[in-house]
Formats: sequence, C-alpha cells, structure tokens
Amino acid sequence: MATSSSSKRRAVVVGGMRTPFLKAFTDFTRLDTIALGVAATRALLARHDLPYRTVEGVVWGGVILPSGTPNIGREIALDLKLDPAAEAMTVTRACASGLQAVTLAAAAIERGDADVMIAGGSDSTSNAQVLLPQQFVHAFAPLALGKPAPSDYLAALAKLGPLGDLVPRRPQIAERTTGEVMGESAERMAQRWEITREAQDALALRSHQNAAAAIASGRIAGEVTKVEVGEGKWVHTDGLVRGDTSAEKLAKLRPAFAENGTVTAGNASPLTDGAAAVLLMSEDKARSLGYKPLAAFKSWAYVGVDPADQLLIGPALAVPRALDRAGISLADCDFVDLHEAFAAQVLGVLKALGSASVARARLGRDVAVGEVDPARLNVRGGSIALGHPFGATGARMVTTMANELALTGKQHAVLGICAAGGLGAAAVLERV
Amino acid sequence: MNDLLLMLGKSPAARNVFGALKLPIPLPEPLARGDGAWTARPLEGATALVGGAGAGELLPIITGALAEAGAAILVDDPARVATLREVAQAHARPVGTDSADATDRAQVLVFDASGIDTVDGLRAAYEFLHPRLGRLARAGRVVIIGRERAASDSAQANAVRAALVGLAKATAKEIGAKGATANCLAVARGAELRLAPVLRWVCDPRAAFVTAQPIAVTARAAAAGRPAYVRPLDGKVAIVTGAARGIGRATAQALAAEGARVVCLDRPEDSKDTSELAREIGGTALLLDVTAPDAPAKILEALGDRGADIVVHNAGITRDQTLARMKPEHWDAVMNVNLAAVVRITDALLPKALRDGGRIICLSSVSGIAGNVGQTNYSASKAALIGYVDALAQQLAPRAITANAIAPGFIETRMTAAIPMMIREAGRRLSALGQGGLPEDVAQAISFLASPGAQGITGSTLRVCGGALIGA
Repeated sequence: MATSSSSKRRAVVVGGMRTPFLKAFTDFTRLDTIALGVAATRALLARHDLPYRTVEGVVWGGVILPSGTPNIGREIALDLKLDPAAEAMTVTRACASGLQAVTLAAAAIERGDADVMIAGGSDSTSNAQVLLPQQFVHAFAPLALGKPAPSDYLAALAKLGPLGDLVPRRPQIAERTTGEVMGESAERMAQRWEITREAQDALALRSHQNAAAAIASGRIAGEVTKVEVGEGKWVHTDGLVRGDTSAEKLAKLRPAFAENGTVTAGNASPLTDGAAAVLLMSEDKARSLGYKPLAAFKSWAYVGVDPADQLLIGPALAVPRALDRAGISLADCDFVDLHEAFAAQVLGVLKALGSASVARARLGRDVAVGEVDPARLNVRGGSIALGHPFGATGARMVTTMANELALTGKQHAVLGICAAGGLGAAAVLERV
Repeated sequence: MNDLLLMLGKSPAARNVFGALKLPIPLPEPLARGDGAWTARPLEGATALVGGAGAGELLPIITGALAEAGAAILVDDPARVATLREVAQAHARPVGTDSADATDRAQVLVFDASGIDTVDGLRAAYEFLHPRLGRLARAGRVVIIGRERAASDSAQANAVRAALVGLAKATAKEIGAKGATANCLAVARGAELRLAPVLRWVCDPRAAFVTAQPIAVTARAAAAGRPAYVRPLDGKVAIVTGAARGIGRATAQALAAEGARVVCLDRPEDSKDTSELAREIGGTALLLDVTAPDAPAKILEALGDRGADIVVHNAGITRDQTLARMKPEHWDAVMNVNLAAVVRITDALLPKALRDGGRIICLSSVSGIAGNVGQTNYSASKAALIGYVDALAQQLAPRAITANAIAPGFIETRMTAAIPMMIREAGRRLSALGQGGLPEDVAQAISFLASPGAQGITGSTLRVCGGALIGA
C-alpha cells in the first residue's frame, strides 16, 4: 500500500481552518454544531478563494449529533449554499470522528470518486440535547399520542417518580458496556503504567506553553477564523489556552475521578465547543487550480481494543500499523501529534510504544515501536490546552500538522487519537 | 441432587453453629464457578503470588500468562522483579515484590519448581508455600509447576518431579475446605510455550472442581493454531454422543458457548430432549444408537465433507452387579456402548472426517481408575479408554490431533442420585473439596481440552473429581 503511493492518485491537504475552541457553555452556547461547522467551512473556502460549485462533497464528523438532523454534513452544505449537487455525509467514530471524515474524503479522492472534498468535524457540547427521562416519556407518550381518557392523566402522573428525575444531568462520557467514566479509565491507565501526577501535570503544562507560543507567534492564527456570536460580538482566539499556568498551579487542583487519584481538570481535556474543516483535493486537481498542497496522506489505520481492559491504549496499536503501511518507522517522523484526551493516556501510549514486551504480545514483533522525542511531540499544543470539541479534533490535528510540514520543510508527521469504545486511530502525513 | 451440607455451608449462621458446636462434619465451601463463556481476563482484579527456584526458567511465561489473564503480580525474589515487570508490561499489569511477612490475601499462588533437580533444592518449594498458603483467598488456586519426568534426567531429578505431585495433592487436601484447588503442571522441554493456556485454565473459576491433579504439558502433538481465550472454538464443528442430558448436555452447551457448531447425538428415544437442546444451542440433532451397525456411516453422512474438529465420546451406561451374578447381556451391553461403539466410531472418523488439529475426548471415570464394587463391566470399559487415548495420542500426534480422557469423580446427576444414601454421602465427602461436582464442571474441562490452548495435553486422563480420595 505504502510503496505504491507514487503510482496512484494522491489525496492532498490544500488547507484547513477552524473556529476558536471555547469552553462549553461560554460564548458559543448559542451556536449549535451545524452553525460552528458552517463558520469553519465558510472561512476555509474564503481563505482559499474556492468557487463553491467546485466542492463535490462534504464528509463531516460529529459525536453529539442532533437527533432530528443527524446528517449535519448535509445541513452545513445547505446552510452554506454550496451547490446542492455536492453530496454530503456525516460519520461518527467518537473522538476519532474528525480524522475519520478526513480519511474518508481522502479515500474517495484516491478512488477517483471526487477531486475536491471538504472534510471536518464539529461538536457543541453546550447543545447536547437534554433527554427527557425514559420514565417520563413512557408515562406521557400515551397522553400525547393516543386518545386518553381523563383518568389516564392521573395514572400518568402516578407513574412519575420524584421530580428530581427531570433535572438535567451533567453530560458524562461513560462507556456503555462497562459503565466506566472515561476519566476513571484514564485513572486506571495512570496506575497500570505507573504514571505520576507530576508527569501528567508536566505534559499539561507543555501543552499550554506550546499552544500559547503558537498563538503568540501568530503561527496558529492562519488556522483559526473569527466567529460572530451575535449582537456584533466576535470571538477571535481560543478560549482555553493558559500560557501563564505553572506546575504549581496545576499541582493545586484536586483529583477529579478518584480519591488520591492523579487525573485532574488541569491534566485532562475540557468539554469544548468548536469546529474544524479541511480542504482536500486530488494532487493533479490542486495543481491545476493553482494551489500549493501542504501535505499528502501516506497511510492511516483504525484499531479496536477491549474497552474493559485499557480503553484509551488504541493509538499504541494504530500508530505502528499506520507507520507500517507508510513504510516508515517512528524515528522517521519529524512530528508526533497525539490527541490529549488525558495526559495519563498520552503518557501511557508513549510507554506502550516504547515497550518491547507490548510489541511482542500485541504487535507480533520483537522490537518496540520506539521512544518519542518530547521535542517532536504536540509541538503546537494539544487537546488539554486547546480543548477538544470531539468531532473537530482530528481535522484540527491534520491542519496543524500539514501546515507544520509545509512551513518547516520536514518530511513526516504521525497522528494518533484514542476514542470511546476502545478505538484507536492514526494517520501518517508527508510533505508534498 | 440436594446436598444438605452444601446448602448449609452457604449460610454463615450455619457455619458458625457448626463451628461453635465443634461438630465433626466439615461444611463444604460452595465453589466459585465460572458463569457462561470464557472471558478475556478471568483474573481481573486478582493478585497472584509468584515464586521460583534456581533459574526460574518458566517464570516469564507464568508471569505473562497471569498478567494477560488480568492479575497483578507479586514476586518473592526482588532480583526477578525487573525482568518480570518487563513481561507483564505487555498487558499493563504491575509486578511488585512480595515479602514473606505480608498478610494480604492472594487469589493465586504459583511456584516454578522447574529449576529444582536435587532433593535439597525441594526446600525452596516449602519456603515459598509455607509463609503464603495461609494468605490464599477462598476459592484460590495453588499451582506448582515442574518439569516432566524424563529417563534422560538423573533419578534424583525424577524423584523431585514426583515429589511435586505429592506436594500438590497433599496441599489440595489442606486447602479444599476453603474451596481452593492445588494442581501440579509438568512441562516437557520444548513445550514451554504451551504452558500459558493450561495455567490460565487451572486458575479460571471454570476449573473449580479440578484439584489434586498432575497435568503433563508436552510437545507430543504437532503444533496447531494459536490459542484463543475468547470463543476459542469459533468455526469448529463438534460431535457429542449422549447429548440429551447430564454431562453430555452440559458439554454440548459449553462447546456451543465457545463458538462450536455442535452435532448433538443421542438415541431416538430421547428425540425430544436432543432436538430441544440442538435448537437451544444452534446445533443439529442426530438421533441414533451408537451401537447400531450403521451408526458410524450415519455419523459420517451427517458430518458431510466438512468433517468434525472435536469428538466427545460421552454416551455411557451402567449395569451394576457383582461379577458372580452379572448376566452376560449386562457385560455385553456395557462393553458395547462404553467401549466398542467408541472404537468403531473413532475408526470411521479417523481417516478423513476428523480434521487435522482435531480433538478426541473420551469420558472415562474414576471408577475406571479405582475399580468399584459391582462395576466390573463398567470399570473395565472405562479403564480401557485410558489406554485407548494414550495410544491414539501417539498415533495421531503428527496430525496435531490430541486424544484425552476425562475421569469424572462424584458428579451430581440422575445417575448418582440413584445411589444409596450412605454410599452417596461417602462419594461426595471423601474428597478434597468435600462435595460433588456438577455436569458443568466436566463440561468445562472438556471444552478446555477441545480448545487450541490444550495442544500440550494429549494421551492424558484428566480427573474432574474435586480431589477424590478414591483411586488417587
């Protein structure tokens, strides 16, 4: 697969744009996931001065999808007034949804199904629909939908439990099969891989410092569009990055998931609103339209692991698989971009990548995948500092790494993402 | 079926009363059995104490197996921790040092005695177990692992290996009252990589009734597929004779739960039970008398070109009578069903229908090992199968086919419910675990022997007897 990349159609990244990433229930509360997707995509098309009718399709990723309009990719295209002939779909693969959307678009281009695609993802945690408790629905549906007699109303009321059941609950990311909240999985990972609180906080600190530096230098501004949030108010920059945080400040935070635990709000990714979009083309089309591609997809891989064991270890298996397909080693990668769901999870994945016994038991090979030089890891910050709108993260990472390769002249970047359900995702980008 | 003492044993109050009155009857500990199909990590949350003598050659394999099964591991010798930690890291399980004066409970104790070749060296086994046996949790597991006896080794080394079996058997009697088991695995040179699945299984709750057993792990049978720990029988076809009820029924259910498609064979008289079972487990029913002259041909026809991977010869009958009073037809009936039919059906399957890497499992009996009064015919037929699988194992080894016998002890079935009360009580109590087993216990042992992980076990007779004193 890898060696034939020169002989087949290549899908290239022409550019990417995203909205600022904001803490949930702040300035983006009134923008739903579709509106956020529209903002990112509109900016992407404007920046590249691309005629709307050139876009042949949209692949969009999302995790919290509105139940009435789950195909938000199509809604974004329609709201944008793209050519109605452009097709659109929406994919969901938990936190890897954004990368899934991008690689699906790349696959369509490689297959020759299309030449110009938009792919990305968005999530508005602020607009997660608050579901009525099932008990309430079951009690009142016969009244609303049937032909109730007066006595049925009393019967329905009698079926209701305490009114407390109707109060909205804080959204939690719990595994359906195990009931475990993801933070608890991260906590277990920290224990199993013997990852200290200090190491987690240090990784979080670096994430903030790298992200803050990228913002301060103007490096990241080219990837972020301002967004109007109503009444003439605009949001220009990411809201979660804290360049002035310190090891001392992070050390003061209390464990969030276990008594005497190590995972805190400071070393975990926060609930976030935002969207990111990537413009992909076949290499020939990009050049004929006069674009200079940033990067091409050399490979990608998706894996599954037992969610009851190590929910978030997936990237440790997906990364080597993608590297194999690309025909390169971890040492060949100039940049390693790992989604930071939790610092403990990133550090666990790094330990697993460096372990020969993991390689023997899980990959069927004798030598470890390799150690990651910290200077190459998440050089522009990660999800802990920037935030993690679930569906947008993959597209955010693709954009940042494609730009990084083009700006530095380096050759390869590998991306790794863990996702709910015990999924892992990875992709290898090469400079064009 | 009702075991009054076992029922009382489930009640803490009754246990207290028995304890306070110092009644001479031990209340058996209800066994912690596995429920449903095999799981990925049967030892999740468990602590395993691991030790070894000499080079401790097998310790990395033992540690890897226990960590993969989900256990956290404590090692007696701090010098070994670093190496073993690296092994367990593959499964992200911690390895720490166990101090001899620790008091916390452990579910599993494993001692690698493979490095012991001298009588003096045996003391290491005592030194590992002596301070730790008291820490074994209820329903815990002790596993002593040594080398297989070999004429090429010194007589003293062979004495040591035999000693380990005696040690395991006596330990089993000592800990049986808390529902715990002790077994001895003897690993042949060259069979080291076949140890892990066997160790995992004896530590699994599904092996709750297997105790005081020596189990040889050898390289005799040629290598077959990789062991799988979840749905190990996926894609396999099994045939079980006498499937309508009892052990046969439980076996068919267990094999199906692990992914096998099961041909449930029983007599036409049991058509209803057999068909219901086949429907329940998504298998097929095959109604015939195993002793009928055309039975082998009909079985081959039912299996078709696909053939079978697993054959379980379970159909069996008793016609008890002292030899002096036994009528010839009773001798013949037992021999025909229990032995002649097994030989004839196996002969028909062997050339083509039993696939390479396959499994032959015969239901022998502790009665065949020990010989029971009034069961000359039955004991002879069941003992015959022990010799039969031993020979088959050698002949079929190049085809990676294993042949084994299972010897159930006292199992709570309709057959044992009919035994007079006093004899029945003796059968139940005269064992390490002090209680009868269930058909599921035998079925689980069969499904293990049928699995790819049991490639190292062939020509053996595995007792599923709760450590019965009879014939041991």
